[in-house]
Amino acid sequence: MTAVSPGSLYQTPKKFGLSIRTWRQIKEALFGYALLAPAIILLLVFEFYPLFFGMYISMCEWKLTCVKFIGLANYAKAFSDPAMWHSLLITATYSVISVPVQLGLGLVLAYLLFQKVRGLAIFRMMFFMPYITTTVASAAVWAYLFNPTSGLINEAMSVIGLPGLKWLGETKGIFAMLAGTVGLPLPAWAAGPSLALISLIIYTTWVFVGYDIVIFLGGLGNIPGELYDAAKVDGAEGWQLFRYITLPLLSPTTFFLLIITVIGTFKAFNHIYIMTMGGPGDATTTSSIYIFNQLVVYGRYSYSAALSFVVFIVILALTIIQNKVAGSRVVYD
Amino acid sequence: MRSLYKLTMVLVVLSMVLAACTTPTAAPTAAPKATDVPAAKATEAPKPTEAPKPTEAPKPTEVPVVEVANPPATPEQVDAISLEGKKIEVTFWHNRSEKDQAFLQGMLDEFNASNPYGITAKAEIGGASYNDLYTKVSAAIQAGQPPSMSLAYQNQAAFYRGQGAVIDLNPFIKSSKYGFTEEDLKDYFPAFLASDANPQYKGEILGFPTQRSMDVMYYNVDWLNALGYTEPPKDWATFEEIVCKAAKETDKYGWAFRHDASNFASMVFSNGGRIIAEDGSAYVFNSDAGVAAATTVKNVFANKCAVEIPTSEKYGEQTRFGNGQVLFVFASSSGLLYYKDAVEKGANFKWSIAMLPNSGKPAVNLYGASISVYKTTPEQELAAWLVIKFLGEKEQTSRWAIQTGYLPVRASAKEAVITSEKWGPVAEAYAQMFDWAQYAMVEAPVAGYDPVRSIIDTDVMSKIVADPTLDPKTLLDAAVAAANAVLAENAPK
Repeated sequence: MTAVSPGSLYQTPKKFGLSIRTWRQIKEALFGYALLAPAIILLLVFEFYPLFFGMYISMCEWKLTCVKFIGLANYAKAFSDPAMWHSLLITATYSVISVPVQLGLGLVLAYLLFQKVRGLAIFRMMFFMPYITTTVASAAVWAYLFNPTSGLINEAMSVIGLPGLKWLGETKGIFAMLAGTVGLPLPAWAAGPSLALISLIIYTTWVFVGYDIVIFLGGLGNIPGELYDAAKVDGAEGWQLFRYITLPLLSPTTFFLLIITVIGTFKAFNHIYIMTMGGPGDATTTSSIYIFNQLVVYGRYSYSAALSFVVFIVILALTIIQNKVAGSRVVYD
Repeated sequence: MRSLYKLTMVLVVLSMVLAACTTPTAAPTAAPKATDVPAAKATEAPKPTEAPKPTEAPKPTEVPVVEVANPPATPEQVDAISLEGKKIEVTFWHNRSEKDQAFLQGMLDEFNASNPYGITAKAEIGGASYNDLYTKVSAAIQAGQPPSMSLAYQNQAAFYRGQGAVIDLNPFIKSSKYGFTEEDLKDYFPAFLASDANPQYKGEILGFPTQRSMDVMYYNVDWLNALGYTEPPKDWATFEEIVCKAAKETDKYGWAFRHDASNFASMVFSNGGRIIAEDGSAYVFNSDAGVAAATTVKNVFANKCAVEIPTSEKYGEQTRFGNGQVLFVFASSSGLLYYKDAVEKGANFKWSIAMLPNSGKPAVNLYGASISVYKTTPEQELAAWLVIKFLGEKEQTSRWAIQTGYLPVRASAKEAVITSEKWGPVAEAYAQMFDWAQYAMVEAPVAGYDPVRSIIDTDVMSKIVADPTLDPKTLLDAAVAAANAVLAENAPK
């Protein structure tokens, strides 16, 4: 008599040679991919294709089509282009000043607005409005405000007896200007960023501080109230509460804002184009403006594509550095 | 008899059967020649009405087949293009206002209704300025979708030509079927026509003028008289003197400086210099004339006699002039009607225009974008050309000049334009411009002049305005070196 094994009695049912279980897993995976497909196709067509095509253009002598493949020649040219380095320096200066100012002011205002203030909704709306206003329109208005001869800012300054400034038209560094008021000449390297660039930073802060406030308010709302109560029981108050509870627990929000603000400052274009077009001279020619000029004014299609990748690499490197340096200090719990 | 009849019938049938069974020959050997047909000589029958003999029949006229290249390379090729039944649609990009767009489309509608080829022309605003239009056209060329035609400055057209996107209009102009007659061409102002011949591309005509303007000096007559002058300055020293006298009043300036390289070019011309060598081989604006022009700017800013119009303040010089805040402005004559409006809405004073001061030899900077035709199909290129031709006709160029303030391009249109009531108090000044056209100079009709304009403004003028202690010659030398590098980069390969 042949022995019958339990396995042969209860053999796993199969479909197309696969176990039903495996078959079900494949079906689920296929369904998942099918759901992902539209997004993947959109990404491929509208993100990756232009990205790689841009890279291809950057390696060509481009006149309607790739006339000649030149490899990394444009990248080599970019690294030896003093105007490119100058534009990166301007961008870095713009970023280094405007990011802390924006985030600092945003945090302070958010903290104030988080208190029980009368008319809170109105204040929140007021601060957020510049962010939702069309950049071109608000930049044009601010350009008018900064107008040296008919602008409201100089008018206001003259009322209190201060001399008018050239604002967006001033190439002189602000430290040199301040030192000049007391008759102290400064060397060129100590002149500081131009007043034109500072004027742009004032506008940028006005626009983006509202956005920062809203995000900070969200972060503040997520901090459990019990922590403050417990700290108060332990005798903490005022600054200590802010320093040891608010700031650490707000760090994920701060980190997120830091990343996107730095990226934003490196990509800034619209308001600079409207307000100064990179001038006076090259005082506000940021890398975005420089790339735009290389493309539109000079018609250097492949070089501007290469410059875009250079800036992309700079932004990527900065983001990675920020992740390494600041990411480890973020408190998520 | 009956048997003979039967025998005959049998033989006939037999012969027919045998004939049917024979192999047919290739050709009837003894077929009579056609020429031998009229054999009625003997009978003296009337001859057939001189019917030509088939062998002597005239051959159909041999029309040489002309292959039409794209773009057509010769007038004959243009002649060979047929538009019959093709119903071509033509798009024309320009940078005029909504009001002018409606006016232009109105003229094109007339063309659409009257042209015998069924061409439909459509005008579209391609941007608010020439720069916007240039940006849009450049992008469209890269995308492979240029319009049929657009307004373009000569240097911009040369840049498009470098990409093989703009076509030479010489074959169209010379076409016997679709081109101009000698009379037509003589009617065009020679300086206007000459400005479109491109030195970089061996005289190719990369655009055709339907409008022109020039850089002129707008001045406040009342204010000038109050300063003790009866006429605008004729030389640069007097100009500086008047500008600084005018600036003695608080918040008033003698001259409004615009960030526009054309102003610098006009000053170079009127100092006897050029922007680029005549053959387009090198930039030469660091000449004595260039230094003199830059020194004038330096002097008036060093003495705080002029005001800089920020780039963000669009048409600020016009507004300030209208408000009576500046005495002189150098600007395009195409703005004449806007200035008239600004003065009427502003301080409402007596004003006029004049040629810029000069150093003994008058010169005017001739402005005005022409219409360039883009490489599409020979049919569409021809249709675009026919639209240009229509817009350049006396009737159209007159109407357009009166509508916009531009100068008409034909001498025959002058009378109709200058007698228009639209010019009001500046009618006399407007009429003078036709005489100034003889002193016309063109900036630099070469590819890559736009970046050079940017270099002039950024590296020379802006620096001098910001710091009048700088040496103009040093700045100009550096700018010319940079400009020549751009010229070499954009030279036809």
